[in-house]
Amino acid sequence: MATRERPVARFAPGDRVTVLELGKAGHIRTPHYVRHHSGEVVQFCGHFLNPEDLSVGCTGGPVIPLYRVQFRMDDLWPGYDRHPGDVLVIEIYDHWLAPAATATH
Amino acid sequence: MKGYHDIGGQSAGEIPKVELPWMHWEKQVEAIRNLLGDSTRRVISLDELRLGFESFGIEKYSKYSFYRRRLEAMIDTLEHKGVFTREEFEAEVAQARARWDACATTSEVGHGDA
Repeated sequence: MATRERPVARFAPGDRVTVLELGKAGHIRTPHYVRHHSGEVVQFCGHFLNPEDLSVGCTGGPVIPLYRVQFRMDDLWPGYDRHPGDVLVIEIYDHWLAPAATATH
Repeated sequence: MKGYHDIGGQSAGEIPKVELPWMHWEKQVEAIRNLLGDSTRRVISLDELRLGFESFGIEKYSKYSFYRRRLEAMIDTLEHKGVFTREEFEAEVAQARARWDACATTSEVGHGDA
C-alpha cells in the first residue's frame, strides 16, 4: 500500500494562529464564529483526510494536519461576562490557519 | 455563504435540560450509518452525510430531529448514488409497513396488550 504524503505540520503547541475566511462552500467544519479570530495551538492531533473532500466522495487524500486551537471566550464573544479565564478549544484543519500577525496576548 | 446549520453565536433562548430517551429506531439509523461508512464498504462517509443534511434545505433541517436528518440524508445520498431509486425505496417501505401492521395485529390478538 502506498504511503500517503504527509505535509509537515506548520504549527506546534504554543503557536499563535489566526483562523482564515476561505469563503468556501460545501461541507466546512470551521464555524463562522471563529473566523478572523486568533488563538493558541494547544495540541497537534495528527494527519487526517480533509472532510471537505470526503463530503464529496473524494477519499484519495491528501491527508492534512489537524490541530486543537484554544480561544479566549471574551475574544470570541463581545460582552462575555462569565469567568474571565473561560476558553474554547476547537479542532481546526491546517489550511484554515495562518500564523497570527502579532503576539497581542 | 453561512450555512443554516452554522448557528454558533445565535441567540437560542433557554437550553432545555431534559434527558431524551435513545429510541430503538435511532440506534438502527446509527448502526446502518456505521455499516455504510465503514472502511470496507465506504458507501457514504459521515462527511457526505453531513453535507447531505447541510444542503437539503432549512425546512427539512429545522423540522427533523438529529437522527431523522441523518436518515433522510442517507436515503437522499443512496438514491443519488444509484443504490436504489426512490420508487424502489418507497415500495420496500410499503412492504415493510404491511409486514409490521400484520405483525402488530397478530400481536394484539395474541397478547391483548395493545
